[in-house]
Amino acid sequence: MTAVPHMDQRLDAFLAGRRRGKTTRTLIYLVIALLVIWSVKTTIVDDTDWERLGSVSDVLASIGNFLAIDWGLMPDLWQPALETIMVATLGTVLGVISCIPAIWFGALNISPFPPITYPIARLMMTLSRSIHEIVWALFFVAAVGLGALAGVLAIAVRSIGFIAKMSAEAIEDLDPRPVEAIRAVGGNEFQVFIYAILPQVLPVMVGVIIFEWEINIRRSSVLGLVGAGGLGLVFFRQLNTFNEGGVTAVILAILLLILFGELVSYFVRKAII
Amino acid sequence: MPILSVSDLKVRYSTSGPEILKGISFDVEPDDFFAIIGPSGAGKSTLIRCINRLVKPTSGKIMLYGDDVLRLGARELRRVRRSTGMIFQEFNLVNRMSVMDNVLSGRLGHVGNLRALFRQFSRQDIARALSVLDRVGLSDHVDKRADELSGGQRQRVGIARALMQDPKLLLLDEPTSSLDPKISREVMALIVEIAKEYRVPVLCNIHDVKLAMEFCNKMIGLQDGVKMFDGPTSAMNEGKLNDIYAMEVL
Ligand SMILES: Nc1ncnc2c1ncn2[C@@H]1O[C@H](COP(=O)(O)OP(=O)(O)O)[C@@H](O)[C@H]1O
Ligand SMILES: [Mg+2]
Repeated sequence: MTAVPHMDQRLDAFLAGRRRGKTTRTLIYLVIALLVIWSVKTTIVDDTDWERLGSVSDVLASIGNFLAIDWGLMPDLWQPALETIMVATLGTVLGVISCIPAIWFGALNISPFPPITYPIARLMMTLSRSIHEIVWALFFVAAVGLGALAGVLAIAVRSIGFIAKMSAEAIEDLDPRPVEAIRAVGGNEFQVFIYAILPQVLPVMVGVIIFEWEINIRRSSVLGLVGAGGLGLVFFRQLNTFNEGGVTAVILAILLLILFGELVSYFVRKAII
Repeated sequence: MPILSVSDLKVRYSTSGPEILKGISFDVEPDDFFAIIGPSGAGKSTLIRCINRLVKPTSGKIMLYGDDVLRLGARELRRVRRSTGMIFQEFNLVNRMSVMDNVLSGRLGHVGNLRALFRQFSRQDIARALSVLDRVGLSDHVDKRADELSGGQRQRVGIARALMQDPKLLLLDEPTSSLDPKISREVMALIVEIAKEYRVPVLCNIHDVKLAMEFCNKMIGLQDGVKMFDGPTSAMNEGKLNDIYAMEVL
Protein backbone atom coordinates (compact mmCIF):
# COMPACT_ATOMS: atom_id res chain seq x y z
CA MET A 1 0.00 0.00 0.00
CA THR A 2 1.34 3.39 -0.94
CA ALA A 3 -0.69 5.20 1.66
CA VAL A 4 1.24 3.71 4.59
CA PRO A 5 4.68 5.34 4.12
CA HIS A 6 2.86 8.54 3.26
CA MET A 7 0.95 8.29 6.52
CA ASP A 8 4.17 7.60 8.43
CA GLN A 9 5.73 10.75 7.08
CA ARG A 10 2.77 12.83 8.05
CA LEU A 11 2.73 11.30 11.51
CA ASP A 12 6.43 12.05 12.01
CA ALA A 13 6.02 15.62 10.85
CA PHE A 14 3.06 16.08 13.15
CA LEU A 15 4.87 14.62 16.17
CA ALA A 16 7.94 16.72 15.48
CA GLY A 17 5.74 19.80 15.39
CA ARG A 18 4.22 18.81 18.73
CA ARG A 19 7.63 18.31 20.32
CA ARG A 20 8.70 21.73 19.13
CA GLY A 21 5.53 23.21 20.56
CA LYS A 22 6.21 21.45 23.86
CA THR A 23 9.76 22.81 24.14
CA THR A 24 8.58 26.35 23.44
CA ARG A 25 5.83 26.03 26.02
CA THR A 26 8.22 24.66 28.64
CA LEU A 27 10.53 27.59 28.00
CA ILE A 28 7.70 30.08 28.37
CA TYR A 29 6.62 28.50 31.69
CA LEU A 30 10.20 28.62 32.91
CA VAL A 31 10.53 32.31 32.11
CA ILE A 32 7.24 33.09 33.83
CA ALA A 33 8.27 31.14 36.93
CA LEU A 34 11.60 32.98 37.08
CA LEU A 35 9.83 36.32 36.74
CA VAL A 36 7.48 35.47 39.60
CA ILE A 37 10.30 34.32 41.86
CA TRP A 38 12.30 37.45 41.09
CA SER A 39 9.30 39.74 41.81
CA VAL A 40 8.53 37.98 45.10
CA LYS A 41 12.15 38.28 46.13
CA THR A 42 12.57 41.97 45.35
CA THR A 43 9.16 43.25 46.44
CA ILE A 44 8.26 41.02 49.39
CA VAL A 45 11.32 39.22 50.75
CA ASP A 46 13.72 42.15 50.55
CA ASP A 47 11.16 44.86 51.20
CA THR A 48 9.39 43.56 54.29
CA ASP A 49 10.62 44.37 57.77
CA TRP A 50 10.63 40.77 59.01
CA GLU A 51 11.67 41.80 62.53
CA ARG A 52 8.41 43.69 62.99
CA LEU A 53 6.22 40.89 61.69
CA GLY A 54 4.96 39.24 64.84
CA SER A 55 4.32 35.61 65.63
CA VAL A 56 1.28 33.77 64.34
CA SER A 57 -0.56 34.53 67.54
CA ASP A 58 0.17 38.24 67.15
CA VAL A 59 -1.27 38.23 63.66
CA LEU A 60 -4.37 36.40 64.88
CA ALA A 61 -4.78 38.86 67.72
CA SER A 62 -4.53 41.74 65.31
CA ILE A 63 -7.20 40.20 63.08
CA GLY A 64 -9.31 39.74 66.22
CA ASN A 65 -9.04 43.44 66.95
CA PHE A 66 -10.42 44.26 63.52
CA LEU A 67 -13.27 41.80 63.92
CA ALA A 68 -14.44 43.45 67.12
CA ILE A 69 -16.59 45.81 65.12
CA ASP A 70 -17.21 49.14 66.80
CA TRP A 71 -21.00 49.31 66.30
CA GLY A 72 -21.14 52.42 68.42
CA LEU A 73 -19.55 54.30 65.54
CA MET A 74 -22.37 53.51 63.12
CA PRO A 75 -24.71 56.44 64.03
CA ASP A 76 -21.81 58.82 63.42
CA LEU A 77 -21.33 57.45 59.91
CA TRP A 78 -24.61 58.76 58.43
CA GLN A 79 -23.28 62.22 57.92
CA PRO A 80 -20.01 61.21 56.18
CA ALA A 81 -21.82 58.55 54.14
CA LEU A 82 -24.21 61.20 52.89
CA GLU A 83 -21.28 63.43 52.12
CA THR A 84 -19.66 60.63 50.13
CA ILE A 85 -22.80 60.20 48.02
CA MET A 86 -23.06 63.96 47.53
CA VAL A 87 -19.45 64.18 46.42
CA ALA A 88 -20.01 61.31 43.96
CA THR A 89 -23.24 62.85 42.63
CA LEU A 90 -22.04 66.43 42.35
CA GLY A 91 -18.79 65.20 40.86
CA THR A 92 -20.67 63.19 38.26
CA VAL A 93 -22.94 66.13 37.37
CA LEU A 94 -19.98 68.49 37.07
CA GLY A 95 -18.13 65.82 35.08
CA VAL A 96 -21.03 65.50 32.64
CA ILE A 97 -21.13 69.26 32.13
CA SER A 98 -17.38 69.50 31.60
CA CYS A 99 -17.61 66.58 29.20
CA ILE A 100 -19.53 68.55 26.59
CA PRO A 101 -16.53 70.12 24.84
CA ALA A 102 -14.63 66.82 24.94
CA ILE A 103 -17.59 65.04 23.33
CA TRP A 104 -18.12 67.75 20.75
CA PHE A 105 -14.43 67.90 19.81
CA GLY A 106 -13.90 64.17 20.15
CA ALA A 107 -16.53 62.79 17.76
CA LEU A 108 -14.96 62.94 14.32
CA ASN A 109 -18.24 63.51 12.50
CA ILE A 110 -19.13 66.67 14.47
CA SER A 111 -15.68 67.89 15.58
CA PRO A 112 -15.50 71.55 14.39
CA PHE A 113 -11.94 71.40 13.08
CA PRO A 114 -10.68 67.81 13.44
CA PRO A 115 -6.93 68.34 12.85
CA ILE A 116 -6.80 70.50 15.99
CA THR A 117 -9.96 69.86 17.99
CA TYR A 118 -9.85 66.06 17.83
CA PRO A 119 -6.38 65.71 19.43
CA ILE A 120 -7.41 68.21 22.12
CA ALA A 121 -10.40 66.05 23.01
CA ARG A 122 -8.36 62.86 23.00
CA LEU A 123 -5.79 64.49 25.27
CA MET A 124 -8.53 65.56 27.72
CA MET A 125 -9.91 62.03 27.80
CA THR A 126 -6.54 60.36 28.29
CA LEU A 127 -5.42 62.82 30.95
CA SER A 128 -8.65 62.34 32.87
CA ARG A 129 -8.42 58.57 32.83
CA SER A 130 -4.73 57.92 33.21
CA ILE A 131 -4.32 59.91 36.43
CA HIS A 132 -5.65 58.18 39.54
CA GLU A 133 -8.50 59.84 41.45
CA ILE A 134 -6.31 60.03 44.56
CA VAL A 135 -3.73 61.95 42.60
CA TRP A 136 -6.39 64.28 41.18
CA ALA A 137 -7.67 64.77 44.75
CA LEU A 138 -4.18 65.59 46.05
CA PHE A 139 -3.90 68.13 43.26
CA PHE A 140 -7.24 69.77 44.08
CA VAL A 141 -6.60 69.67 47.85
CA ALA A 142 -3.47 71.66 47.10
CA ALA A 143 -5.48 74.00 44.86
CA VAL A 144 -8.70 74.61 46.88
CA GLY A 145 -7.80 73.24 50.31
CA LEU A 146 -9.07 70.30 52.37
CA GLY A 147 -12.72 69.36 52.13
CA ALA A 148 -15.49 68.04 49.94
CA LEU A 149 -14.96 70.59 47.16
CA ALA A 150 -11.59 69.08 46.31
CA GLY A 151 -13.31 65.67 46.22
CA VAL A 152 -16.05 66.92 43.90
CA LEU A 153 -13.51 68.42 41.52
CA ALA A 154 -11.36 65.29 41.53
CA ILE A 155 -14.37 63.07 40.78
CA ALA A 156 -15.56 65.44 38.04
CA VAL A 157 -12.23 65.51 36.25
CA ARG A 158 -11.75 61.78 36.67
CA SER A 159 -15.22 61.16 35.13
CA ILE A 160 -14.67 63.13 31.93
CA GLY A 161 -12.60 60.49 30.18
CA PHE A 162 -14.95 57.55 30.22
CA ILE A 163 -18.21 59.46 29.68
CA ALA A 164 -16.71 61.53 26.85
CA LYS A 165 -15.14 58.53 25.15
CA MET A 166 -18.30 56.44 25.18
CA SER A 167 -20.52 59.35 24.13
CA ALA A 168 -18.21 60.46 21.33
CA GLU A 169 -18.13 56.91 20.02
CA ALA A 170 -21.93 56.72 20.13
CA ILE A 171 -22.11 59.94 18.13
CA GLU A 172 -19.64 58.61 15.58
CA ASP A 173 -21.83 55.55 15.09
CA LEU A 174 -25.11 57.39 14.68
CA ASP A 175 -27.46 57.15 11.74
CA PRO A 176 -26.69 60.18 9.51
CA ARG A 177 -30.07 60.16 7.74
CA PRO A 178 -32.09 62.09 10.35
CA VAL A 179 -29.23 64.60 10.52
CA GLU A 180 -29.62 65.19 6.83
CA ALA A 181 -33.39 65.52 7.15
CA ILE A 182 -33.16 68.21 9.84
CA ARG A 183 -30.61 70.11 7.72
CA ALA A 184 -32.99 69.86 4.77
CA VAL A 185 -35.90 71.48 6.66
CA GLY A 186 -33.64 74.45 7.39
CA GLY A 187 -32.57 73.53 10.92
CA ASN A 188 -29.36 75.07 12.25
CA GLU A 189 -26.53 73.05 13.78
CA PHE A 190 -27.93 73.36 17.30
CA GLN A 191 -31.31 72.09 16.15
CA VAL A 192 -29.63 69.27 14.27
CA PHE A 193 -27.93 68.31 17.52
CA ILE A 194 -31.11 68.48 19.62
CA TYR A 195 -33.39 66.73 17.11
CA ALA A 196 -31.24 64.33 15.16
CA ILE A 197 -28.21 63.52 17.31
CA LEU A 198 -29.30 63.66 20.94
CA PRO A 199 -32.31 61.33 20.62
CA GLN A 200 -30.04 58.72 19.09
CA VAL A 201 -27.29 58.85 21.71
CA LEU A 202 -29.27 59.69 24.84
CA PRO A 203 -29.92 56.08 25.92
CA VAL A 204 -26.23 55.21 25.66
CA MET A 205 -25.20 58.39 27.46
CA VAL A 206 -27.63 57.93 30.34
CA GLY A 207 -26.42 54.36 30.80
CA VAL A 208 -22.80 55.47 30.81
CA ILE A 209 -23.47 58.32 33.25
CA ILE A 210 -25.29 56.07 35.71
CA PHE A 211 -22.46 53.56 35.49
CA GLU A 212 -19.92 56.30 36.12
CA TRP A 213 -21.93 57.55 39.11
CA GLU A 214 -21.84 54.10 40.62
CA ILE A 215 -18.07 53.94 40.22
CA ASN A 216 -17.79 57.45 41.61
CA ILE A 217 -19.38 56.33 44.89
CA ARG A 218 -16.53 53.84 45.18
CA ARG A 219 -14.01 56.55 44.36
CA SER A 220 -15.39 59.21 46.66
CA SER A 221 -15.46 56.78 49.61
CA VAL A 222 -11.67 56.65 49.61
CA LEU A 223 -10.96 60.28 48.72
CA GLY A 224 -11.11 61.20 52.43
CA LEU A 225 -7.73 59.53 52.76
CA VAL A 226 -6.21 62.65 51.26
CA GLY A 227 -8.47 65.03 53.13
CA ALA A 228 -11.25 65.37 50.59
CA GLY A 229 -14.11 64.59 53.00
CA GLY A 230 -16.60 61.74 53.37
CA LEU A 231 -16.24 58.24 54.77
CA GLY A 232 -12.59 58.07 53.79
CA LEU A 233 -11.77 60.78 56.28
CA VAL A 234 -13.42 58.84 59.12
CA PHE A 235 -11.62 55.73 57.98
CA PHE A 236 -8.33 57.57 58.18
CA ARG A 237 -9.10 58.88 61.67
CA GLN A 238 -10.01 55.43 62.98
CA LEU A 239 -6.78 54.05 61.56
CA ASN A 240 -4.74 56.85 63.13
CA THR A 241 -6.28 56.32 66.57
CA PHE A 242 -5.68 52.55 66.32
CA ASN A 243 -9.41 51.86 66.65
CA GLU A 244 -9.40 48.70 64.54
CA GLY A 245 -13.06 47.92 65.28
CA GLY A 246 -13.90 51.40 63.97
CA VAL A 247 -11.95 50.79 60.77
CA THR A 248 -14.00 47.67 60.11
CA ALA A 249 -17.20 49.60 60.83
CA VAL A 250 -16.27 52.17 58.20
CA ILE A 251 -15.39 49.45 55.71
CA LEU A 252 -18.82 47.91 56.30
CA ALA A 253 -20.47 51.27 55.74
CA ILE A 254 -18.56 51.73 52.49
CA LEU A 255 -19.62 48.26 51.40
CA LEU A 256 -23.26 49.09 52.07
CA LEU A 257 -22.94 52.38 50.20
CA ILE A 258 -21.47 50.66 47.16
CA LEU A 259 -24.20 48.05 47.25
CA PHE A 260 -26.73 50.88 47.34
CA GLY A 261 -25.07 52.50 44.31
CA GLU A 262 -25.13 49.25 42.40
CA LEU A 263 -28.81 48.72 43.16
CA VAL A 264 -29.81 52.21 42.08
CA SER A 265 -27.69 51.89 38.95
CA TYR A 266 -29.24 48.53 38.12
CA PHE A 267 -32.82 49.73 38.43
CA VAL A 268 -32.31 53.04 36.66
CA ARG A 269 -30.62 51.35 33.74
CA LYS A 270 -33.33 48.73 33.58
CA ALA A 271 -35.92 51.49 33.49
CA ILE A 272 -34.37 53.36 30.57
CA ILE A 273 -33.35 50.45 28.35
CA MET B 1 -41.22 82.52 -14.36
CA PRO B 2 -39.90 79.11 -13.36
CA ILE B 3 -39.75 78.22 -9.65
CA LEU B 4 -36.43 76.51 -10.19
CA SER B 5 -33.94 77.07 -12.93
CA VAL B 6 -30.79 74.96 -13.15
CA SER B 7 -28.09 75.75 -15.65
CA ASP B 8 -24.92 73.93 -16.63
CA LEU B 9 -24.70 72.11 -13.30
CA LYS B 10 -21.51 70.12 -12.81
CA VAL B 11 -20.58 68.00 -9.82
CA ARG B 12 -17.49 66.14 -8.69
CA TYR B 13 -17.36 64.61 -5.21
CA SER B 14 -13.60 65.11 -5.11
CA THR B 15 -11.25 67.15 -7.24
CA SER B 16 -9.63 64.08 -8.73
CA GLY B 17 -12.84 62.03 -8.89
CA PRO B 18 -15.08 61.46 -11.89
CA GLU B 19 -17.55 64.09 -13.03
CA ILE B 20 -20.93 62.84 -11.80
CA LEU B 21 -23.10 65.54 -13.41
CA LYS B 22 -21.78 66.87 -16.69
CA GLY B 23 -23.58 70.15 -17.26
CA ILE B 24 -27.29 69.72 -16.53
CA SER B 25 -29.84 72.45 -17.31
CA PHE B 26 -33.61 72.48 -16.85
CA ASP B 27 -36.52 74.58 -15.52
CA VAL B 28 -39.34 73.65 -13.19
CA GLU B 29 -42.60 75.59 -13.63
CA PRO B 30 -45.19 76.12 -10.85
CA ASP B 31 -47.51 73.32 -11.99
CA ASP B 32 -44.91 70.71 -12.91
CA PHE B 33 -44.70 67.23 -11.47
CA PHE B 34 -41.29 66.32 -12.77
CA ALA B 35 -39.85 62.82 -12.81
CA ILE B 36 -36.12 62.31 -13.05
CA ILE B 37 -35.55 58.86 -14.45
CA GLY B 38 -32.42 56.96 -15.34
CA PRO B 39 -30.43 53.91 -14.39
CA SER B 40 -28.95 53.56 -10.96
CA GLY B 41 -25.71 55.56 -10.67
CA ALA B 42 -26.83 58.06 -13.34
CA GLY B 43 -26.66 60.93 -10.82
CA LYS B 44 -30.33 61.38 -9.95
CA SER B 45 -29.77 61.65 -6.20
CA THR B 46 -26.78 63.91 -6.71
CA LEU B 47 -28.87 66.23 -8.87
CA ILE B 48 -31.75 66.49 -6.44
CA ARG B 49 -29.43 67.01 -3.47
CA CYS B 50 -27.73 69.91 -5.22
CA ILE B 51 -31.00 71.85 -5.32
CA ASN B 52 -31.01 72.42 -1.53
CA ARG B 53 -27.23 72.15 -1.39
CA LEU B 54 -26.96 68.96 0.60
CA VAL B 55 -24.34 68.38 -2.08
CA LYS B 56 -22.21 71.32 -3.17
CA PRO B 57 -21.87 71.48 -6.95
CA THR B 58 -18.53 72.21 -8.59
CA SER B 59 -19.98 74.78 -10.97
CA GLY B 60 -23.18 75.96 -12.59
CA LYS B 61 -26.11 77.98 -11.38
CA ILE B 62 -29.27 77.14 -9.43
CA MET B 63 -31.96 79.82 -9.18
CA LEU B 64 -34.61 78.84 -6.64
CA TYR B 65 -37.45 81.24 -5.75
CA GLY B 66 -35.28 83.97 -7.25
CA ASP B 67 -32.29 83.14 -4.97
CA ASP B 68 -28.93 82.10 -6.36
CA VAL B 69 -28.59 79.00 -4.18
CA LEU B 70 -24.88 78.46 -4.70
CA ARG B 71 -24.02 81.96 -3.50
CA LEU B 72 -26.09 82.00 -0.31
CA GLY B 73 -24.59 82.33 3.16
CA ALA B 74 -25.52 79.84 5.87
CA ARG B 75 -28.47 81.85 7.18
CA GLU B 76 -30.03 82.51 3.75
CA LEU B 77 -29.44 78.89 2.79
CA ARG B 78 -31.50 77.82 5.80
CA ARG B 79 -34.24 80.23 4.72
CA VAL B 80 -34.34 78.63 1.26
CA ARG B 81 -34.23 75.14 2.75
CA ARG B 82 -37.15 75.78 5.05
CA SER B 83 -39.38 76.47 2.02
CA THR B 84 -38.18 73.35 0.24
CA GLY B 85 -39.64 70.05 1.36
CA MET B 86 -37.59 66.92 0.94
CA ILE B 87 -38.81 63.34 1.05
CA PHE B 88 -36.22 60.57 1.26
CA GLN B 89 -36.05 57.00 0.06
CA GLU B 90 -35.38 55.74 3.57
CA PHE B 91 -37.71 58.28 5.23
CA ASN B 92 -34.91 59.74 7.43
CA LEU B 93 -37.10 59.96 10.51
CA VAL B 94 -35.81 60.18 14.06
CA ASN B 95 -36.85 56.70 15.17
CA ARG B 96 -36.87 57.37 18.88
CA MET B 97 -39.19 60.35 18.55
CA SER B 98 -42.95 60.30 18.26
CA VAL B 99 -44.73 60.73 14.94
CA MET B 100 -45.91 64.14 16.16
CA ASP B 101 -42.40 65.33 17.06
CA ASN B 102 -41.07 64.11 13.72
CA VAL B 103 -43.78 66.02 11.89
CA LEU B 104 -43.24 69.14 13.99
CA SER B 105 -39.53 69.02 13.21
CA GLY B 106 -40.59 70.23 9.75
CA ARG B 107 -41.17 73.63 11.40
CA LEU B 108 -37.65 73.89 12.85
CA GLY B 109 -36.63 76.39 10.20
CA HIS B 110 -39.18 78.78 11.73
CA VAL B 111 -38.44 78.15 15.40
CA GLY B 112 -35.78 79.62 17.71
CA ASN B 113 -33.22 77.48 19.51
CA LEU B 114 -34.84 77.80 22.93
CA ARG B 115 -38.26 76.74 21.67
CA ALA B 116 -36.64 73.91 19.73
CA LEU B 117 -34.79 72.74 22.83
CA PHE B 118 -37.99 72.45 24.86
CA ARG B 119 -40.11 71.38 21.89
CA GLN B 120 -42.34 74.40 22.40
CA PHE B 121 -44.19 74.69 19.13
CA SER B 122 -46.99 77.22 18.67
CA ARG B 123 -50.70 76.32 18.75
CA GLN B 124 -50.91 76.93 15.00
CA ASP B 125 -48.00 74.62 14.32
CA ILE B 126 -49.57 71.83 16.35
CA ALA B 127 -52.94 72.40 14.72
CA ARG B 128 -51.27 72.27 11.32
CA ALA B 129 -49.44 69.07 12.27
CA LEU B 130 -52.72 67.43 13.28
CA SER B 131 -54.44 68.42 10.05
CA VAL B 132 -51.50 67.31 7.91
CA LEU B 133 -51.44 63.98 9.77
CA ASP B 134 -55.16 63.63 9.05
CA ARG B 135 -54.48 64.29 5.41
CA VAL B 136 -51.86 61.54 5.09
CA GLY B 137 -54.08 59.14 7.03
CA LEU B 138 -52.12 58.88 10.25
CA SER B 139 -54.54 60.44 12.73
CA ASP B 140 -54.51 57.24 14.80
CA HIS B 141 -50.73 57.14 15.12
CA VAL B 142 -49.91 60.63 16.38
CA ASP B 143 -48.29 59.54 19.65
CA LYS B 144 -46.59 56.39 18.45
CA ARG B 145 -42.87 56.22 18.07
CA ALA B 146 -41.72 56.48 14.46
CA ASP B 147 -40.12 53.05 14.55
CA GLU B 148 -43.42 51.41 15.47
CA LEU B 149 -44.86 52.18 12.04
CA SER B 150 -44.76 50.20 8.81
CA GLY B 151 -42.70 51.42 5.84
CA GLY B 152 -45.66 52.99 4.07
CA GLN B 153 -46.74 54.73 7.26
CA ARG B 154 -43.23 56.04 7.87
CA GLN B 155 -43.11 57.55 4.42
CA ARG B 156 -46.44 59.22 5.21
CA VAL B 157 -44.74 60.77 8.23
CA GLY B 158 -42.00 61.94 5.87
CA ILE B 159 -44.62 63.51 3.61
CA ALA B 160 -46.32 65.17 6.58
CA ARG B 161 -43.00 66.58 7.79
CA ALA B 162 -42.38 68.11 4.36
CA LEU B 163 -45.91 69.57 4.28
CA MET B 164 -45.32 71.23 7.65
CA GLN B 165 -42.76 73.39 5.92
CA ASP B 166 -45.47 74.92 3.73
CA PRO B 167 -43.08 74.16 0.89
CA LYS B 168 -42.81 76.04 -2.39
CA LEU B 169 -41.11 73.04 -3.98
CA LEU B 170 -40.94 69.35 -3.08
CA LEU B 171 -37.76 67.35 -3.70
CA LEU B 172 -38.34 63.60 -3.68
CA ASP B 173 -35.50 61.11 -3.81
CA GLU B 174 -36.98 57.76 -4.78
CA PRO B 175 -39.81 58.08 -2.26
CA THR B 176 -41.20 54.62 -3.00
CA SER B 177 -38.10 52.53 -3.56
CA SER B 178 -38.11 51.12 -0.03
CA LEU B 179 -41.76 50.09 -0.28
CA ASP B 180 -43.46 47.10 -1.84
CA PRO B 181 -45.26 47.64 -5.19
CA LYS B 182 -48.79 48.02 -3.84
CA ILE B 183 -47.78 50.50 -1.12
CA SER B 184 -45.58 52.31 -3.65
CA ARG B 185 -48.55 53.12 -5.85
CA GLU B 186 -50.63 54.27 -2.87
CA VAL B 187 -47.87 56.56 -1.63
CA MET B 188 -47.18 57.89 -5.12
CA ALA B 189 -50.89 58.59 -5.68
CA LEU B 190 -51.05 60.39 -2.34
CA ILE B 191 -48.08 62.57 -3.25
CA VAL B 192 -49.67 63.51 -6.58
CA GLU B 193 -52.97 64.43 -4.90
CA ILE B 194 -51.22 66.45 -2.23
CA ALA B 195 -49.07 68.29 -4.75
CA LYS B 196 -52.28 69.37 -6.51
CA GLU B 197 -54.07 70.35 -3.30
CA TYR B 198 -51.16 72.36 -1.92
CA ARG B 199 -50.22 73.63 -5.41
CA VAL B 200 -46.59 72.59 -5.00
CA PRO B 201 -44.35 71.72 -7.92
CA VAL B 202 -42.48 68.47 -7.50
CA LEU B 203 -39.11 67.18 -8.61
CA CYS B 204 -39.06 63.45 -8.10
CA ASN B 205 -36.29 60.91 -8.62
CA ILE B 206 -37.79 57.65 -9.60
CA HIS B 207 -36.25 54.44 -10.78
CA ASP B 208 -39.50 52.76 -11.77
CA VAL B 209 -40.36 54.06 -15.26
CA LYS B 210 -43.90 52.71 -15.11
CA LEU B 211 -44.69 54.72 -12.01
CA ALA B 212 -43.09 57.79 -13.58
CA MET B 213 -45.12 57.49 -16.79
CA GLU B 214 -48.32 57.07 -14.83
CA PHE B 215 -47.97 59.84 -12.26
CA CYS B 216 -45.72 62.55 -13.64
CA ASN B 217 -46.47 65.11 -16.34
CA LYS B 218 -42.87 65.96 -17.22
CA MET B 219 -39.68 63.96 -17.35
CA ILE B 220 -35.95 64.32 -17.34
CA GLY B 221 -33.94 61.34 -18.50
CA LEU B 222 -30.42 61.08 -17.04
CA GLN B 223 -27.70 58.77 -18.18
CA ASP B 224 -24.25 58.83 -16.67
CA GLY B 225 -24.53 62.50 -15.67
CA VAL B 226 -25.90 63.67 -19.03
CA LYS B 227 -29.45 64.82 -19.73
CA MET B 228 -30.90 62.58 -22.47
CA PHE B 229 -34.51 63.76 -22.39
CA ASP B 230 -36.47 66.74 -21.09
CA GLY B 231 -40.13 67.17 -21.94
CA PRO B 232 -43.72 66.18 -21.26
CA THR B 233 -44.36 62.55 -20.40
CA SER B 234 -46.49 62.27 -23.54
CA ALA B 235 -43.36 62.84 -25.64
CA MET B 236 -41.55 59.90 -24.06
CA ASN B 237 -41.51 56.70 -26.03
CA GLU B 238 -39.99 53.23 -26.10
CA GLY B 239 -37.02 54.22 -28.25
CA LYS B 240 -36.01 57.12 -26.02
CA LEU B 241 -36.40 54.98 -22.92
CA ASN B 242 -34.14 52.37 -24.46
CA ASP B 243 -31.54 55.06 -25.08
CA ILE B 244 -31.66 56.24 -21.47
CA TYR B 245 -31.44 52.75 -20.05
CA ALA B 246 -29.02 51.48 -22.70
CA MET B 247 -26.11 51.22 -20.28
CA GLU B 248 -28.17 49.23 -17.82
CA VAL B 249 -29.19 46.68 -20.44
CA LEU B 250 -25.54 46.04 -21.24
N1 LIG C 1 -21.09 61.07 -1.34
C1 LIG C 1 -20.53 60.59 -2.48
N2 LIG C 1 -19.18 60.55 -2.60
C2 LIG C 1 -18.60 60.07 -3.73
N3 LIG C 1 -19.28 59.57 -4.76
C3 LIG C 1 -20.63 59.58 -4.70
C4 LIG C 1 -21.31 60.08 -3.56
N4 LIG C 1 -22.65 59.95 -3.76
C5 LIG C 1 -22.77 59.39 -4.99
N5 LIG C 1 -21.57 59.17 -5.56
C6 LIG C 1 -21.34 58.59 -6.90
O1 LIG C 1 -22.01 59.38 -7.83
C7 LIG C 1 -22.61 58.59 -8.84
C8 LIG C 1 -24.08 58.92 -8.96
O2 LIG C 1 -24.72 58.55 -7.77
P1 LIG C 1 -26.22 58.94 -7.46
O3 LIG C 1 -26.40 60.38 -7.63
O4 LIG C 1 -26.57 58.38 -6.13
O5 LIG C 1 -26.99 58.17 -8.61
P2 LIG C 1 -28.50 57.65 -8.66
O6 LIG C 1 -29.27 58.33 -7.60
O7 LIG C 1 -28.95 57.99 -10.05
O8 LIG C 1 -28.45 56.18 -8.46
C9 LIG C 1 -22.35 57.14 -8.45
O9 LIG C 1 -21.28 56.67 -9.24
C10 LIG C 1 -21.95 57.22 -7.02
O10 LIG C 1 -21.02 56.23 -6.71
MG1 LIG D 1 -30.30 57.56 -5.92
